[in-house]
Amino acid sequence: MEVKSETKSANPPNRDASDVARHVADILSGAGANLVASLPDNWIAPMIRHFDADNRFRHVPVNREESAVGLCSGAFFTGKPGIALMGASGFLTCIYAITKINYTYQIPILFLITLRGDPGDPARFHVSNGLYLRSIIDAIDIPFIDIDRYEDLSKIGTAYRHMSVIGRPYVVGMSRDVLRGNR
Amino acid sequence: MAMLIEECFAALASRRRDELVVTSAGNSSEVWWEVTGDTERTFYLEASMSLSTLFASGMAMGYPDAKFWAFIGDGAFVMNTGLLFVERDLALPNVVSIVVANRCYGATDGVALPNSREIDFAAVARAAGISRVFRFGSVQDLDAGFEESFRSAGPTTVVLDLEAPVRHHESPPFDGPELKYRFGRALEKRFSRKVLP
Repeated sequence: MEVKSETKSANPPNRDASDVARHVADILSGAGANLVASLPDNWIAPMIRHFDADNRFRHVPVNREESAVGLCSGAFFTGKPGIALMGASGFLTCIYAITKINYTYQIPILFLITLRGDPGDPARFHVSNGLYLRSIIDAIDIPFIDIDRYEDLSKIGTAYRHMSVIGRPYVVGMSRDVLRGNR
Repeated sequence: MAMLIEECFAALASRRRDELVVTSAGNSSEVWWEVTGDTERTFYLEASMSLSTLFASGMAMGYPDAKFWAFIGDGAFVMNTGLLFVERDLALPNVVSIVVANRCYGATDGVALPNSREIDFAAVARAAGISRVFRFGSVQDLDAGFEESFRSAGPTTVVLDLEAPVRHHESPPFDGPELKYRFGRALEKRFSRKVLP
């Protein structure tokens, strides 16, 4: 496992979590997305608030991560696949829905998730995510992009477009530092 | 009082105009296929596990002028009653959620749904804030209440009290990608928009 040190740069970027959220929304809007379903993780709370206020998107708060899979999968038939924004723990509860719905019918959906449990996350209750998240993603062969730099956020747009080409869901994992605007 | 699913679905199918239908795992997919033979305006979401009505809602948001019927089994309904709060917030006027209340897991050999006789599915929906909730236990009542329950605008939940299945029905003969393309191409044709990549 690659170990990333928490960034404490002498010249930290002049941006914060709300700037990152706006940038991600700009990228997704540019890619044609207009639906976001979410369940919180505190790393993405600013992003959830952004989508809720951004009139380019319909934001649907759900109360179970699998419900985001159902909603976004149906939205595929509008011509604009949906985006499911959630924490790593929530994503892991979706494995069955992904393999049953998205794999069976070849319906793309973009998961934006937190990389909880990675080095730098002080929460002990997320240790299991750090240990097993990537292994589980690998086990079900779901395309995955690991984003730890602001400059790489543009890959989210690439993933959104490409998932429709391959007819499969895509996962973008975002680090705490990139979500906070630190990196 | 409860209906035979075949008679109930035949009554619904006879009243259907151009509604788009999403079925859920097991009985609703199998019997709807047997009754309608629909290959283009029904998405047989046999791998649904409580997500069929939200799947329909995701579509319905993009087709405000179309009407959607979404079946969900009672086993799926109790698996994810949280979906009711999402549906209440969405308040989609063009979706009718239809609870197939046969008090058993019809997709898995009719194993009994625990505590099913005590569960009032319509009351659960009302308690979650769904304002238009209807319950039918006979085809005659369904016929009498059809216009108000299925045709009026507004987010709606309809509970169909059904007998447990008494015979086996075949699954719709489509694999996943075939169903996706049949349904998606039919949407493209009907609504003159690009749906599939």
